[in-house]
Amino acid sequence: MTLLRTPTTGAATDAARSRTRRRRGRADRRPRLALSVTVLFFALLYLPIAVVVLFSFNTQKSLTVFDGFSLRWYRAFFHDDVLISSLGTSLRISLVAMVGSVLLGAALALGLVRCRTRLGSVAGLVMLVPLITPEIVTGVASMLLFKGLGMTLSTATVMLSEITFSISYVTVILRSRVAALNPEVEEAAMDLGATRWQAVRLVTLPALVPTVLACSVLIFALVFDDFVLAYFTTGVEPQPLSVRIYSAIRFGVQPTINAVGTLMLAGSIGLIALALFIPRLFGRRGGLDLLSGK
Amino acid sequence: MTLPHLSRIRRRARRANGTRIWTWFMLPGTLWMTGFLIASLLLVAVLAVGTTDSLGNPRFGFDLSSIRALTDPAYSQVLLRSLGYSVLTCVICLVVAYPVAYTIALHGGRFKNAMIAAIVVPFFANYLVRMYGWSVVLSDDGPLLKALRDIGLADSGTRILNTGAGVVAGLVYGFVVFMIIPLYAALERLDVSLIEAGRDLYGGPLRTFFFVTLPATRQGAAAGLVLVFLPAMGDFVSAQLMGGPDQIMIGNLIQDKFFQGQNWPLGSALTMMLMLVLLIGMLGYLRRTRKDEAEARR
Repeated sequence: MTLLRTPTTGAATDAARSRTRRRRGRADRRPRLALSVTVLFFALLYLPIAVVVLFSFNTQKSLTVFDGFSLRWYRAFFHDDVLISSLGTSLRISLVAMVGSVLLGAALALGLVRCRTRLGSVAGLVMLVPLITPEIVTGVASMLLFKGLGMTLSTATVMLSEITFSISYVTVILRSRVAALNPEVEEAAMDLGATRWQAVRLVTLPALVPTVLACSVLIFALVFDDFVLAYFTTGVEPQPLSVRIYSAIRFGVQPTINAVGTLMLAGSIGLIALALFIPRLFGRRGGLDLLSGK
Repeated sequence: MTLPHLSRIRRRARRANGTRIWTWFMLPGTLWMTGFLIASLLLVAVLAVGTTDSLGNPRFGFDLSSIRALTDPAYSQVLLRSLGYSVLTCVICLVVAYPVAYTIALHGGRFKNAMIAAIVVPFFANYLVRMYGWSVVLSDDGPLLKALRDIGLADSGTRILNTGAGVVAGLVYGFVVFMIIPLYAALERLDVSLIEAGRDLYGGPLRTFFFVTLPATRQGAAAGLVLVFLPAMGDFVSAQLMGGPDQIMIGNLIQDKFFQGQNWPLGSALTMMLMLVLLIGMLGYLRRTRKDEAEARR
Protein backbone atom coordinates (compact mmCIF):
# COMPACT_ATOMS: atom_id res chain seq x y z
CA MET A 1 0.00 0.00 0.00
CA THR A 2 2.64 2.44 0.95
CA LEU A 3 4.56 1.58 -2.18
CA LEU A 4 1.59 2.40 -4.37
CA ARG A 5 0.88 5.69 -2.74
CA THR A 6 2.17 8.67 -4.63
CA PRO A 7 4.28 11.14 -2.68
CA THR A 8 1.77 13.93 -3.15
CA THR A 9 -1.23 12.14 -1.65
CA GLY A 10 0.91 10.86 1.19
CA ALA A 11 1.94 14.38 2.02
CA ALA A 12 -1.65 15.56 1.79
CA THR A 13 -2.99 12.91 4.20
CA ASP A 14 -0.11 13.57 6.53
CA ALA A 15 -0.93 17.24 6.51
CA ALA A 16 -4.60 16.52 7.13
CA ARG A 17 -3.76 14.11 9.91
CA SER A 18 -1.44 16.57 11.57
CA ARG A 19 -4.10 19.23 11.24
CA THR A 20 -6.69 17.10 12.98
CA ARG A 21 -4.11 16.15 15.55
CA ARG A 22 -3.36 19.78 16.18
CA ARG A 23 -7.04 20.60 16.54
CA ARG A 24 -7.75 17.71 18.83
CA GLY A 25 -4.60 18.56 20.71
CA ARG A 26 -5.94 22.02 21.31
CA ALA A 27 -9.29 20.85 22.63
CA ASP A 28 -7.71 18.08 24.68
CA ARG A 29 -4.82 20.08 25.99
CA ARG A 30 -4.62 20.02 29.72
CA PRO A 31 -4.87 23.58 30.93
CA ARG A 32 -1.50 23.93 32.59
CA LEU A 33 -2.56 26.69 35.00
CA ALA A 34 -5.61 24.77 36.22
CA LEU A 35 -3.53 21.64 36.60
CA SER A 36 -0.88 23.34 38.71
CA VAL A 37 -3.56 24.94 40.91
CA THR A 38 -5.04 21.47 41.39
CA VAL A 39 -1.70 19.96 42.38
CA LEU A 40 -1.03 22.82 44.80
CA PHE A 41 -4.55 22.48 46.19
CA PHE A 42 -4.12 18.79 46.96
CA ALA A 43 -0.75 19.47 48.56
CA LEU A 44 -2.18 22.16 50.85
CA LEU A 45 -5.28 20.06 51.59
CA TYR A 46 -3.21 17.19 52.92
CA LEU A 47 -0.29 19.09 54.43
CA PRO A 48 -2.08 19.96 57.73
CA ILE A 49 -3.31 16.38 58.09
CA ALA A 50 0.17 15.06 57.36
CA VAL A 51 1.65 17.41 59.96
CA VAL A 52 -0.76 16.19 62.66
CA VAL A 53 -0.10 12.55 61.84
CA LEU A 54 3.68 12.97 61.59
CA PHE A 55 4.11 14.84 64.85
CA SER A 56 1.86 12.43 66.71
CA PHE A 57 4.76 9.99 66.35
CA ASN A 58 7.41 12.50 67.43
CA THR A 59 9.64 11.67 70.40
CA GLN A 60 9.75 15.31 71.50
CA LYS A 61 7.18 17.96 72.23
CA SER A 62 8.25 20.07 69.25
CA LEU A 63 5.83 20.70 66.39
CA THR A 64 8.56 21.84 64.00
CA VAL A 65 11.39 19.33 64.41
CA PHE A 66 10.80 15.62 64.02
CA ASP A 67 13.29 13.89 66.31
CA GLY A 68 12.37 10.29 65.96
CA PHE A 69 9.58 7.78 66.02
CA SER A 70 7.79 6.96 69.24
CA LEU A 71 4.35 6.03 70.46
CA ARG A 72 4.78 8.20 73.53
CA TRP A 73 1.78 10.47 72.86
CA TYR A 74 -0.51 7.56 72.11
CA ARG A 75 0.47 6.00 75.43
CA ALA A 76 -0.16 9.34 77.09
CA PHE A 77 -3.62 9.45 75.53
CA PHE A 78 -4.58 5.95 76.62
CA HIS A 79 -3.45 6.68 80.15
CA ASP A 80 -5.34 9.96 80.30
CA ASP A 81 -8.56 9.09 82.13
CA VAL A 82 -10.23 12.40 81.29
CA LEU A 83 -9.68 11.99 77.55
CA ILE A 84 -10.72 8.34 77.61
CA SER A 85 -13.97 9.15 79.43
CA SER A 86 -14.57 11.94 76.86
CA LEU A 87 -14.08 9.40 74.11
CA GLY A 88 -16.72 7.20 75.72
CA THR A 89 -19.09 10.16 76.04
CA SER A 90 -18.63 11.05 72.37
CA LEU A 91 -19.26 7.47 71.29
CA ARG A 92 -22.44 7.31 73.39
CA ILE A 93 -23.70 10.63 72.00
CA SER A 94 -23.00 9.57 68.42
CA LEU A 95 -24.75 6.25 68.87
CA VAL A 96 -27.90 7.74 70.39
CA ALA A 97 -28.00 10.60 67.87
CA MET A 98 -27.51 8.14 65.02
CA VAL A 99 -30.39 5.85 66.07
CA GLY A 100 -32.73 8.72 66.91
CA SER A 101 -32.14 10.81 63.83
CA VAL A 102 -32.21 7.86 61.42
CA LEU A 103 -35.55 6.66 62.81
CA LEU A 104 -37.16 10.11 62.74
CA GLY A 105 -35.47 11.18 59.51
CA ALA A 106 -36.27 8.02 57.55
CA ALA A 107 -39.94 8.23 58.50
CA LEU A 108 -39.93 11.92 57.60
CA ALA A 109 -38.33 11.22 54.22
CA LEU A 110 -40.91 8.54 53.40
CA GLY A 111 -43.73 10.83 54.42
CA LEU A 112 -42.37 13.85 52.54
CA VAL A 113 -42.05 11.98 49.27
CA ARG A 114 -45.41 10.22 49.40
CA CYS A 115 -47.57 12.84 51.04
CA ARG A 116 -48.50 15.83 48.95
CA THR A 117 -50.59 17.70 51.50
CA ARG A 118 -50.03 21.14 52.94
CA LEU A 119 -48.47 19.60 56.05
CA GLY A 120 -46.00 17.95 53.72
CA SER A 121 -44.79 21.20 52.26
CA VAL A 122 -44.54 22.81 55.70
CA ALA A 123 -42.55 19.83 56.95
CA GLY A 124 -40.29 20.12 53.92
CA LEU A 125 -39.53 23.73 54.79
CA VAL A 126 -38.98 23.06 58.50
CA MET A 127 -36.56 20.30 57.62
CA LEU A 128 -34.45 22.67 55.53
CA VAL A 129 -33.95 25.20 58.34
CA PRO A 130 -30.87 23.56 59.95
CA LEU A 131 -29.17 23.33 56.56
CA ILE A 132 -29.34 27.08 55.99
CA THR A 133 -28.63 28.12 59.58
CA PRO A 134 -25.03 28.38 60.74
CA GLU A 135 -24.21 25.96 63.51
CA ILE A 136 -23.48 28.72 65.98
CA VAL A 137 -27.09 29.91 65.68
CA THR A 138 -28.49 26.42 66.19
CA GLY A 139 -26.11 25.99 69.10
CA VAL A 140 -27.13 29.22 70.80
CA ALA A 141 -30.81 28.50 70.17
CA SER A 142 -30.65 24.95 71.57
CA MET A 143 -28.79 26.13 74.64
CA LEU A 144 -31.40 28.84 75.30
CA LEU A 145 -34.22 26.35 74.83
CA PHE A 146 -32.74 23.83 77.27
CA LYS A 147 -32.02 26.54 79.82
CA GLY A 148 -35.50 27.97 79.27
CA LEU A 149 -37.04 24.56 79.93
CA GLY A 150 -35.04 24.41 83.15
CA MET A 151 -32.86 21.52 81.99
CA THR A 152 -29.28 21.21 83.20
CA LEU A 153 -26.88 21.00 80.28
CA SER A 154 -25.48 17.48 80.10
CA THR A 155 -24.74 14.64 77.72
CA ALA A 156 -28.50 14.24 77.23
CA THR A 157 -28.92 17.79 75.95
CA VAL A 158 -26.07 17.25 73.48
CA MET A 159 -27.85 14.11 72.26
CA LEU A 160 -31.14 15.97 71.81
CA SER A 161 -29.64 18.80 69.79
CA GLU A 162 -27.48 16.47 67.70
CA ILE A 163 -30.61 14.47 66.81
CA THR A 164 -32.40 17.67 65.80
CA PHE A 165 -29.54 18.69 63.56
CA SER A 166 -28.96 15.26 62.01
CA ILE A 167 -32.60 14.64 61.05
CA SER A 168 -32.17 17.09 58.17
CA TYR A 169 -29.16 15.24 56.78
CA VAL A 170 -30.91 11.88 57.03
CA THR A 171 -34.01 13.26 55.36
CA VAL A 172 -32.11 14.92 52.52
CA ILE A 173 -30.08 11.79 51.80
CA LEU A 174 -32.99 9.36 52.04
CA ARG A 175 -35.52 11.53 50.25
CA SER A 176 -33.85 11.21 46.86
CA ARG A 177 -33.56 7.47 47.39
CA VAL A 178 -37.25 7.12 48.32
CA ALA A 179 -38.23 9.27 45.35
CA ALA A 180 -36.33 6.86 43.10
CA LEU A 181 -38.45 3.93 44.29
CA ASN A 182 -41.46 3.00 42.24
CA PRO A 183 -44.65 3.34 44.32
CA GLU A 184 -46.38 0.93 41.94
CA VAL A 185 -44.44 -1.92 43.54
CA GLU A 186 -46.10 -1.11 46.85
CA GLU A 187 -49.47 -0.95 45.10
CA ALA A 188 -48.77 -4.34 43.58
CA ALA A 189 -48.04 -5.77 47.02
CA MET A 190 -51.36 -4.44 48.24
CA ASP A 191 -53.16 -5.87 45.21
CA LEU A 192 -51.70 -9.19 46.30
CA GLY A 193 -53.35 -8.76 49.69
CA ALA A 194 -50.82 -6.92 51.81
CA THR A 195 -52.01 -4.15 54.06
CA ARG A 196 -50.45 -0.70 53.57
CA TRP A 197 -48.20 -1.20 56.58
CA GLN A 198 -47.14 -4.65 55.42
CA ALA A 199 -46.34 -3.25 52.00
CA VAL A 200 -44.13 -0.57 53.54
CA ARG A 201 -42.44 -3.02 55.88
CA LEU A 202 -41.91 -5.84 53.40
CA VAL A 203 -41.35 -3.95 50.16
CA THR A 204 -40.22 -0.36 50.69
CA LEU A 205 -38.08 -0.64 53.81
CA PRO A 206 -35.88 -3.50 52.54
CA ALA A 207 -35.15 -1.45 49.42
CA LEU A 208 -33.93 1.37 51.65
CA VAL A 209 -31.64 -0.76 53.82
CA PRO A 210 -28.32 -0.01 52.04
CA THR A 211 -28.88 3.73 52.01
CA VAL A 212 -30.10 3.73 55.61
CA LEU A 213 -27.00 1.83 56.75
CA ALA A 214 -24.64 4.10 54.83
CA CYS A 215 -26.46 7.14 56.11
CA SER A 216 -26.26 5.88 59.71
CA VAL A 217 -22.50 5.48 59.48
CA LEU A 218 -22.23 8.96 58.01
CA ILE A 219 -24.33 10.50 60.79
CA PHE A 220 -22.30 8.67 63.41
CA ALA A 221 -19.11 10.19 62.00
CA LEU A 222 -20.64 13.66 61.64
CA VAL A 223 -21.95 13.72 65.20
CA PHE A 224 -18.72 12.29 66.60
CA ASP A 225 -16.74 15.05 64.89
CA ASP A 226 -19.21 17.83 65.57
CA PHE A 227 -17.88 20.56 67.77
CA VAL A 228 -20.04 23.69 67.68
CA LEU A 229 -23.37 22.18 68.78
CA ALA A 230 -21.68 20.03 71.40
CA TYR A 231 -19.79 23.05 72.70
CA PHE A 232 -22.97 25.04 73.27
CA THR A 233 -25.10 22.26 74.72
CA THR A 234 -22.70 20.20 76.82
CA GLY A 235 -22.48 20.30 80.57
CA VAL A 236 -19.24 20.67 82.49
CA GLU A 237 -18.60 16.98 83.07
CA PRO A 238 -18.36 14.68 81.13
CA GLN A 239 -17.52 16.59 77.96
CA PRO A 240 -17.45 15.16 74.43
CA LEU A 241 -14.00 14.62 72.94
CA SER A 242 -14.17 17.45 70.41
CA VAL A 243 -14.98 19.98 73.14
CA ARG A 244 -12.05 18.63 75.15
CA ILE A 245 -9.78 19.00 72.11
CA TYR A 246 -10.98 22.56 71.64
CA SER A 247 -9.95 23.59 75.14
CA ALA A 248 -6.64 21.78 74.76
CA ILE A 249 -5.87 23.58 71.48
CA ARG A 250 -6.93 26.91 72.91
CA PHE A 251 -5.05 26.74 76.15
CA GLY A 252 -1.58 25.56 75.26
CA VAL A 253 -0.83 22.90 72.73
CA GLN A 254 -0.13 19.42 74.00
CA PRO A 255 1.32 16.82 71.65
CA THR A 256 -1.29 14.36 72.96
CA ILE A 257 -3.71 16.29 70.76
CA ASN A 258 -1.75 15.12 67.71
CA ALA A 259 -2.26 11.52 68.78
CA VAL A 260 -5.97 12.03 69.51
CA GLY A 261 -6.32 13.94 66.26
CA THR A 262 -4.65 11.19 64.26
CA LEU A 263 -6.93 8.57 65.81
CA MET A 264 -9.99 10.71 65.09
CA LEU A 265 -8.88 11.35 61.51
CA ALA A 266 -8.32 7.65 60.97
CA GLY A 267 -11.67 6.86 62.58
CA SER A 268 -13.74 9.29 60.53
CA ILE A 269 -11.95 8.56 57.26
CA GLY A 270 -12.57 4.88 57.90
CA LEU A 271 -16.26 5.51 58.63
CA ILE A 272 -16.75 7.68 55.55
CA ALA A 273 -15.04 5.09 53.39
CA LEU A 274 -17.36 2.51 54.96
CA ALA A 275 -20.40 4.69 54.26
CA LEU A 276 -19.40 4.97 50.61
CA PHE A 277 -18.64 1.26 50.43
CA ILE A 278 -21.78 -0.19 52.08
CA PRO A 279 -24.13 0.41 49.12
CA ARG A 280 -21.67 -1.44 46.87
CA LEU A 281 -22.13 -4.53 49.03
CA PHE A 282 -25.77 -4.47 48.02
CA GLY A 283 -25.07 -3.85 44.37
CA ARG A 284 -24.74 -0.55 42.65
CA ARG A 285 -28.11 0.96 43.42
CA GLY A 286 -28.84 3.14 46.40
CA GLY A 287 -25.42 4.70 46.85
CA LEU A 288 -24.85 7.85 48.83
CA ASP A 289 -25.02 10.85 46.62
CA LEU A 290 -22.11 12.50 48.37
CA LEU A 291 -19.88 12.81 45.39
CA SER A 292 -22.17 14.23 42.79
CA GLY A 293 -23.22 17.37 44.58
CA LYS A 294 -25.98 18.01 47.08
CA MET B 1 -61.83 -8.90 32.41
CA THR B 2 -63.31 -7.03 35.31
CA LEU B 3 -60.32 -7.69 37.50
CA PRO B 4 -58.00 -4.90 36.29
CA HIS B 5 -60.85 -2.48 36.39
CA LEU B 6 -61.77 -3.40 39.93
CA SER B 7 -58.20 -3.15 41.11
CA ARG B 8 -57.95 0.30 39.59
CA ILE B 9 -60.94 1.43 41.61
CA ARG B 10 -59.46 -0.15 44.68
CA ARG B 11 -56.19 1.65 44.07
CA ARG B 12 -57.85 4.98 43.68
CA ALA B 13 -59.75 4.50 46.91
CA ARG B 14 -56.56 3.44 48.63
CA ARG B 15 -54.65 6.44 47.34
CA ALA B 16 -57.21 8.86 48.72
CA ASN B 17 -57.11 7.13 52.05
CA GLY B 18 -53.40 6.33 51.88
CA THR B 19 -52.07 9.79 52.59
CA ARG B 20 -53.06 9.29 56.20
CA ILE B 21 -50.32 6.77 56.90
CA TRP B 22 -47.72 9.07 55.31
CA THR B 23 -48.88 11.90 57.53
CA TRP B 24 -48.28 9.67 60.52
CA PHE B 25 -44.81 8.91 59.19
CA MET B 26 -44.05 12.59 58.86
CA LEU B 27 -45.47 13.71 62.17
CA PRO B 28 -42.82 12.67 64.74
CA GLY B 29 -39.92 14.19 62.81
CA THR B 30 -41.80 17.39 62.05
CA LEU B 31 -42.98 17.79 65.63
CA TRP B 32 -39.46 17.15 66.90
CA MET B 33 -37.98 19.75 64.56
CA THR B 34 -40.67 22.29 65.36
CA GLY B 35 -40.32 21.74 69.08
CA PHE B 36 -36.56 21.82 69.27
CA LEU B 37 -35.54 23.99 66.37
CA ILE B 38 -38.25 26.44 65.39
CA ALA B 39 -39.22 27.03 69.02
CA SER B 40 -35.62 27.59 70.01
CA LEU B 41 -35.03 30.04 67.17
CA LEU B 42 -38.11 31.96 68.26
CA LEU B 43 -36.74 31.96 71.78
CA VAL B 44 -33.58 33.66 70.52
CA ALA B 45 -35.71 36.35 68.87
CA VAL B 46 -37.72 36.87 72.07
CA LEU B 47 -34.64 37.04 74.26
CA ALA B 48 -33.07 39.62 71.96
CA VAL B 49 -35.59 42.09 73.35
CA GLY B 50 -35.28 40.74 76.88
CA THR B 51 -33.32 42.12 79.81
CA THR B 52 -31.04 40.85 82.52
CA ASP B 53 -31.66 41.12 86.24
CA SER B 54 -29.07 42.42 88.66
CA LEU B 55 -27.40 38.98 88.83
CA GLY B 56 -27.03 38.88 85.06
CA ASN B 57 -29.73 36.24 84.57
CA PRO B 58 -31.81 36.69 81.44
CA ARG B 59 -35.37 37.94 81.94
CA PHE B 60 -38.15 38.16 79.40
CA GLY B 61 -39.51 41.57 78.71
CA PHE B 62 -39.63 44.20 76.06
CA ASP B 63 -36.51 46.24 76.09
CA LEU B 64 -34.70 47.51 73.04
CA SER B 65 -31.40 48.22 74.76
CA SER B 66 -29.70 45.12 73.32
CA ILE B 67 -30.88 45.98 69.83
CA ARG B 68 -29.74 49.56 70.33
CA ALA B 69 -26.37 48.33 71.58
CA LEU B 70 -25.80 46.77 68.16
CA THR B 71 -25.34 50.22 66.67
CA ASP B 72 -22.23 50.62 68.83
CA PRO B 73 -19.36 51.21 66.39
CA ALA B 74 -17.39 48.41 68.09
CA TYR B 75 -20.05 45.91 66.98
CA SER B 76 -20.64 47.30 63.52
CA GLN B 77 -16.89 47.17 62.99
CA VAL B 78 -16.88 43.46 63.85
CA LEU B 79 -19.87 42.88 61.60
CA LEU B 80 -18.19 44.66 58.71
CA ARG B 81 -14.99 42.71 59.32
CA SER B 82 -16.92 39.41 59.35
CA LEU B 83 -18.62 40.39 56.10
CA GLY B 84 -15.29 41.36 54.57
CA TYR B 85 -13.57 38.13 55.62
CA SER B 86 -16.51 36.01 54.46
CA VAL B 87 -16.77 37.71 51.07
CA LEU B 88 -13.01 37.42 50.60
CA THR B 89 -13.23 33.76 51.58
CA CYS B 90 -15.97 33.22 49.00
CA VAL B 91 -13.91 34.89 46.26
CA ILE B 92 -10.75 32.93 47.10
CA CYS B 93 -12.72 29.69 47.29
CA LEU B 94 -14.20 30.37 43.86
CA VAL B 95 -10.82 31.21 42.34
CA VAL B 96 -9.19 28.14 43.88
CA ALA B 97 -12.05 25.69 43.48
CA TYR B 98 -12.84 26.48 39.86
CA PRO B 99 -9.57 25.23 38.34
CA VAL B 100 -9.63 22.21 40.64
CA ALA B 101 -13.21 21.27 39.75
CA TYR B 102 -12.47 22.00 36.09
CA THR B 103 -9.40 19.79 35.98
CA ILE B 104 -11.19 16.93 37.71
CA ALA B 105 -14.44 17.17 35.75
CA LEU B 106 -12.92 17.64 32.29
CA HIS B 107 -9.54 15.99 32.56
CA GLY B 108 -9.96 13.58 35.46
CA GLY B 109 -10.67 10.61 33.21
CA ARG B 110 -11.24 7.47 35.22
CA PHE B 111 -9.75 9.02 38.36
CA LYS B 112 -12.61 11.53 38.62
CA ASN B 113 -14.47 9.82 41.45
CA ALA B 114 -11.29 8.96 43.31
CA MET B 115 -10.13 12.57 43.14
CA ILE B 116 -13.44 13.99 44.36
CA ALA B 117 -13.47 11.42 47.15
CA ALA B 118 -9.93 12.49 48.04
CA ILE B 119 -11.28 16.01 48.53
CA VAL B 120 -14.53 15.13 50.31
CA VAL B 121 -13.21 12.49 52.71
CA PRO B 122 -10.70 14.68 54.61
CA PHE B 123 -13.43 17.30 54.82
CA PHE B 124 -15.44 14.92 56.98
CA ALA B 125 -12.49 14.54 59.31
CA ASN B 126 -12.71 16.53 62.51
CA TYR B 127 -12.91 20.25 61.78
CA LEU B 128 -10.90 21.21 64.86
CA VAL B 129 -8.09 18.80 64.16
CA ARG B 130 -7.87 20.02 60.56
CA MET B 131 -7.83 23.65 61.65
CA TYR B 132 -5.23 22.88 64.28
CA GLY B 133 -3.02 21.18 61.67
CA TRP B 134 -3.52 24.15 59.35
CA SER B 135 -2.48 26.55 62.09
CA VAL B 136 0.71 24.53 62.59
CA VAL B 137 1.38 24.68 58.82
CA LEU B 138 0.85 28.45 58.77
CA SER B 139 2.78 29.16 61.96
CA ASP B 140 5.84 31.41 61.89
CA ASP B 141 8.30 28.55 61.65
CA GLY B 142 5.90 26.13 60.00
CA PRO B 143 6.60 24.39 56.69
CA LEU B 144 4.76 26.88 54.49
CA LEU B 145 6.55 30.04 55.58
CA LYS B 146 9.86 28.14 55.65
CA ALA B 147 9.36 27.10 52.03
CA LEU B 148 8.31 30.63 51.04
CA ARG B 149 11.40 32.05 52.75
CA ASP B 150 13.61 29.54 50.94
CA ILE B 151 12.39 30.64 47.53
CA GLY B 152 12.55 34.28 48.57
CA LEU B 153 8.81 35.00 48.55
CA ALA B 154 8.79 35.86 52.24
CA ASP B 155 11.26 37.44 54.61
CA SER B 156 11.81 36.77 58.29
CA GLY B 157 9.13 39.29 59.23
CA THR B 158 6.34 37.75 57.17
CA ARG B 159 3.57 36.27 59.25
CA ILE B 160 0.29 34.62 58.46
CA LEU B 161 -0.88 33.51 61.87
CA ASN B 162 -2.45 36.25 64.00
CA THR B 163 -3.31 38.33 60.96
CA GLY B 164 -6.47 38.75 58.94
CA ALA B 165 -4.85 36.67 56.19
CA GLY B 166 -4.57 33.81 58.66
CA VAL B 167 -8.28 33.98 59.52
CA VAL B 168 -9.27 34.02 55.85
CA ALA B 169 -6.85 31.15 55.16
CA GLY B 170 -8.55 29.20 57.93
CA LEU B 171 -12.03 29.88 56.56
CA VAL B 172 -10.95 28.92 53.04
CA TYR B 173 -9.39 25.69 54.28
CA GLY B 174 -12.47 24.92 56.34
CA PHE B 175 -15.14 25.42 53.70
CA VAL B 176 -13.59 25.25 50.22
CA VAL B 177 -15.12 21.82 49.69
CA PHE B 178 -18.60 23.42 49.67
CA MET B 179 -17.50 25.31 46.57
CA ILE B 180 -15.85 22.39 44.83
CA ILE B 181 -18.85 20.05 45.01
CA PRO B 182 -21.47 22.25 43.26
CA LEU B 183 -18.90 23.50 40.75
CA TYR B 184 -17.85 19.95 39.97
CA ALA B 185 -21.49 18.93 39.55
CA ALA B 186 -22.08 21.86 37.16
CA LEU B 187 -18.91 21.19 35.15
CA GLU B 188 -19.74 17.49 34.95
CA ARG B 189 -23.10 18.33 33.42
CA LEU B 190 -21.49 20.80 31.03
CA ASP B 191 -21.65 19.70 27.41
CA VAL B 192 -18.02 19.56 26.24
CA SER B 193 -19.11 20.17 22.66
CA LEU B 194 -20.03 23.70 23.78
CA ILE B 195 -16.39 24.37 24.56
CA GLU B 196 -15.37 22.80 21.25
CA ALA B 197 -17.91 24.95 19.46
CA GLY B 198 -16.39 27.99 21.10
CA ARG B 199 -12.98 26.93 19.86
CA ASP B 200 -14.30 26.16 16.38
CA LEU B 201 -15.65 29.68 16.23
CA TYR B 202 -12.07 30.83 16.78
CA GLY B 203 -12.51 31.80 20.40
CA GLY B 204 -9.19 31.59 22.20
CA PRO B 205 -9.01 29.45 25.32
CA LEU B 206 -9.56 32.49 27.53
CA ARG B 207 -12.46 33.89 25.52
CA THR B 208 -14.07 30.48 25.32
CA PHE B 209 -13.71 30.13 29.07
CA PHE B 210 -15.22 33.51 29.91
CA PHE B 211 -18.01 33.44 27.31
CA VAL B 212 -18.91 29.74 27.27
CA THR B 213 -17.69 27.70 30.24
CA LEU B 214 -18.14 30.24 33.01
CA PRO B 215 -21.70 31.33 32.10
CA ALA B 216 -22.76 27.71 31.71
CA THR B 217 -21.63 26.91 35.25
CA ARG B 218 -22.90 30.12 36.84
CA GLN B 219 -25.52 28.35 38.93
CA GLY B 220 -22.99 25.96 40.41
CA ALA B 221 -20.80 28.92 41.33
CA ALA B 222 -23.75 30.77 42.91
CA ALA B 223 -24.68 27.71 44.98
CA GLY B 224 -21.06 27.36 46.06
CA LEU B 225 -20.86 31.01 47.09
CA VAL B 226 -23.91 30.62 49.36
CA LEU B 227 -22.67 27.32 50.79
CA VAL B 228 -19.32 28.91 51.69
CA PHE B 229 -20.73 32.22 52.88
CA LEU B 230 -23.17 30.67 55.40
CA PRO B 231 -20.67 28.76 57.54
CA ALA B 232 -17.93 31.38 57.07
CA MET B 233 -20.12 34.12 58.57
CA GLY B 234 -20.95 31.97 61.59
CA ASP B 235 -17.47 30.61 62.22
CA PHE B 236 -15.57 31.47 65.37
CA VAL B 237 -12.87 28.80 65.43
CA SER B 238 -10.81 30.22 62.59
CA ALA B 239 -10.63 33.69 64.10
CA GLN B 240 -9.69 32.14 67.42
CA LEU B 241 -6.94 29.83 66.16
CA MET B 242 -5.58 31.88 63.27
CA GLY B 243 -6.25 35.44 64.34
CA GLY B 244 -5.58 37.65 67.30
CA PRO B 245 -7.83 39.94 69.31
CA ASP B 246 -7.95 42.39 66.39
CA GLN B 247 -9.42 39.79 64.04
CA ILE B 248 -12.48 38.65 65.97
CA MET B 249 -15.63 37.91 64.00
CA ILE B 250 -19.28 38.06 64.92
CA GLY B 251 -19.22 34.40 65.95
CA ASN B 252 -16.57 35.20 68.55
CA LEU B 253 -18.73 38.03 69.92
CA ILE B 254 -21.73 35.71 70.22
CA GLN B 255 -19.63 33.05 71.91
CA ASP B 256 -18.24 35.65 74.28
CA LYS B 257 -21.68 37.00 75.25
CA PHE B 258 -22.94 33.51 76.07
CA PHE B 259 -19.88 32.15 77.86
CA GLN B 260 -17.54 34.74 79.29
CA GLY B 261 -19.63 37.89 79.11
CA GLN B 262 -22.89 36.30 80.28
CA ASN B 263 -25.06 38.87 78.54
CA TRP B 264 -27.60 36.62 76.89
CA PRO B 265 -29.96 39.27 75.52
CA LEU B 266 -27.06 40.97 73.78
CA GLY B 267 -25.81 37.60 72.51
CA SER B 268 -29.31 36.86 71.19
CA ALA B 269 -29.46 40.25 69.49
CA LEU B 270 -26.10 39.57 67.84
CA THR B 271 -27.35 36.14 66.74
CA MET B 272 -30.45 37.74 65.22
CA MET B 273 -28.25 40.25 63.40
CA LEU B 274 -26.18 37.39 61.99
CA MET B 275 -29.34 35.58 60.87
CA LEU B 276 -30.60 38.78 59.23
CA VAL B 277 -27.41 39.21 57.21
CA LEU B 278 -27.54 35.58 56.09
CA LEU B 279 -31.23 35.86 55.24
CA ILE B 280 -30.52 38.84 53.00
CA GLY B 281 -27.78 36.83 51.30
CA MET B 282 -30.09 33.83 50.83
CA LEU B 283 -32.89 35.98 49.40
CA GLY B 284 -30.46 37.56 46.96
CA TYR B 285 -29.35 34.10 45.87
CA LEU B 286 -32.93 32.86 45.47
CA ARG B 287 -33.91 35.89 43.40
CA ARG B 288 -30.86 35.38 41.23
CA THR B 289 -31.61 31.71 40.57
CA ARG B 290 -35.28 32.46 39.96
CA LYS B 291 -34.29 35.04 37.35
CA ASP B 292 -31.88 32.55 35.79
CA GLU B 293 -34.59 29.93 35.61
CA ALA B 294 -37.01 32.38 34.02
CA GLU B 295 -34.38 33.29 31.43
CA ALA B 296 -33.66 29.66 30.73
CA ARG B 297 -37.36 28.99 30.15
CA ARG B 298 -37.65 31.82 27.67
